[in-house]
Amino acid sequence: MTTASTGLGGARLRLRREPMFPLWSIAGVAAVVAILATYPLYGTEYVMNLLGMFVCFSIFALSISLIWGFAGILSLGQAIYFGMGAYFIALSLKLSYAAENPTRYGGTIPDYMEWNGLEEVPTIMAPLMHLEVAIVCLLFFPTLLAFIFGVITFKRHIYGVYCAVITLAEALILQEFIIEYQAYTGGFNGITDYETYNNMYFLWIILGVAVVLFGATRLLTHSRIGTVLKSVRDNDVRAEFNGYEVANYRIFVFCFASMMAAVAGGLYAAWMGIVSHLDTGPILSIEGVIWAAVGGRSTVIGPFVGTFLVKGAEFFLSQQLAWAWQLVMGLLFIFVVKFMPDGIIGTMGKSIANRRMRSAYAETGGAYGAETLSIADRLRAVFAGGNASFMDYLFGRDGRRG
Amino acid sequence: MSENILEITGLVTRVSGYTILDDLHFSVQENELRVLLGPNGAGKTTLIDMISGRYKPTGGKIHFRGRDITGLPPHKIFKRGICRKFQVPNMYETLRVFDNVMISLAGHRLVVQSLFHKHTAADHERVVEILEFIGLAGKAEYPADALSHGERQWLEMGMLIAADPKMLLLDEPTTGMTEADKQKTAGLIQRIAERHTVLLVEHDMHVVRRLARYVTVLHQGNILAEGSLEDVVANEQVRQVYLGQGKFGGA
Repeated sequence: MTTASTGLGGARLRLRREPMFPLWSIAGVAAVVAILATYPLYGTEYVMNLLGMFVCFSIFALSISLIWGFAGILSLGQAIYFGMGAYFIALSLKLSYAAENPTRYGGTIPDYMEWNGLEEVPTIMAPLMHLEVAIVCLLFFPTLLAFIFGVITFKRHIYGVYCAVITLAEALILQEFIIEYQAYTGGFNGITDYETYNNMYFLWIILGVAVVLFGATRLLTHSRIGTVLKSVRDNDVRAEFNGYEVANYRIFVFCFASMMAAVAGGLYAAWMGIVSHLDTGPILSIEGVIWAAVGGRSTVIGPFVGTFLVKGAEFFLSQQLAWAWQLVMGLLFIFVVKFMPDGIIGTMGKSIANRRMRSAYAETGGAYGAETLSIADRLRAVFAGGNASFMDYLFGRDGRRG
Repeated sequence: MSENILEITGLVTRVSGYTILDDLHFSVQENELRVLLGPNGAGKTTLIDMISGRYKPTGGKIHFRGRDITGLPPHKIFKRGICRKFQVPNMYETLRVFDNVMISLAGHRLVVQSLFHKHTAADHERVVEILEFIGLAGKAEYPADALSHGERQWLEMGMLIAADPKMLLLDEPTTGMTEADKQKTAGLIQRIAERHTVLLVEHDMHVVRRLARYVTVLHQGNILAEGSLEDVVANEQVRQVYLGQGKFGGA
């Protein structure tokens, strides 16, 4: 059947193919990486420490963007996986440090284990002493946990608000668990005093891993599976009736993002030299959500920009504004939700795309009518009471259903 | 005559005490264009929901191409060859029109397949063909939420065509359209019905007159009349059911 000639007709098809890695993005990434990688040569150690930390956090924010911005799953427990990764590496480094540096009392087990009355390293933890084992664990166990949580949640068609609440609870449980079993985890104080990897070469490794993961995310979100994930985000009912088993896609992206968060956590632990229950809890998870939202949750570069801006502002402003910092964060989030739901990069990207479309359609005499709201328009809409709701922003159009 | 592609026996649907479908027996033949009529609340959309797997029926059996599909989840029913259109156009709002159709192309529904499948030139060609067929080729790059209501209806039909199912369930595809757009849509449905089995729920009598060969009238969860359009319209019971609504008044 030659449908083309007998249908409703209309203008000819014009389609621009966006390259996977546009030249300007490669140049931009190269420039940023070059600046960060050479910073230790001329900068201060304090700022270098911050930069390495920010890059780790930006990978974490990327993992949140991937599940929230691209697949519509709001997890308030993504720090579970970041924390697990961090604890695997911190434990490993701590064990090998303890073996070579006997404590005051002559023991060769981590100091906190000694304080808590352990005689020797528990047998299941002993293999972690080898960094290779810890890295394999870091890649495997957080992903496995994400898979189990994912199957429990998504196979039973739980998403939206309920999914956010469940993941939040999971993060709280893990945090309690870590505090409770302090003989194994260091409890409230966390794990510290071990050989850290805090130098220019490790900064390069962090940057290398970040580039690979950001590139992989770009590949994932701009290929067929990325389009399917976005379609599930936009309208999971349509996707289900279009033959896609939505739960499997959600589980897949959840596992992938969790593995990414674990890698970020592992790098963070090696770089910072301290890991505590705060790195697994809801607060870090929610901060990650804010970083992703500010930068642009449905973009790949957004989380990086958001993390650097928000976290950077936190470090440089919280000294002056220590008493009000949390308030500033809250106001920032409200501002983004209300006036810039696509975040900084997302808003820029959209306005560029719209301008290009408008001029392309103007050439052929057609009009491009996609709705674009300027910030001023959004402000007006808020006062007119016609703005999209907060719930829609967080969970998408369909996300409020149970 | 060809085989029954869809065979529904004794279908019962109760929702919190109300009986929506009551012991319904219904069948559709292969390559048929069947129009489903009925006043509001007759159970038309519920019947579509049951066939497409949105809800599980309380009782009864649905067989499609000889296999039992009662109570299967929607994606499995899709796999057996049924794809539906919703009454309110349902699509992927932020995706481009092009991607909406591309994602709907038959095949590659598993995660692994989605992960590794690269769209071929043939896929691309097919999407272009469909977009031209539904008249949206000029808007291929628009996000779906920038389309007008009528265009959204056509886009969703385009997505169904792309999925290339054995049977299409179309739930009121002309709702909210202008008269001219309704005629265009009727033309589309006619073309679709050349290759597919179609079950169409439709209120607009102009569209029904243009398309219908065989009509089923639902009333209060059961079949009131079945036959050619002329027979059904002449049916005294059908006239009574519709009387208060004036549906057939001008027809």
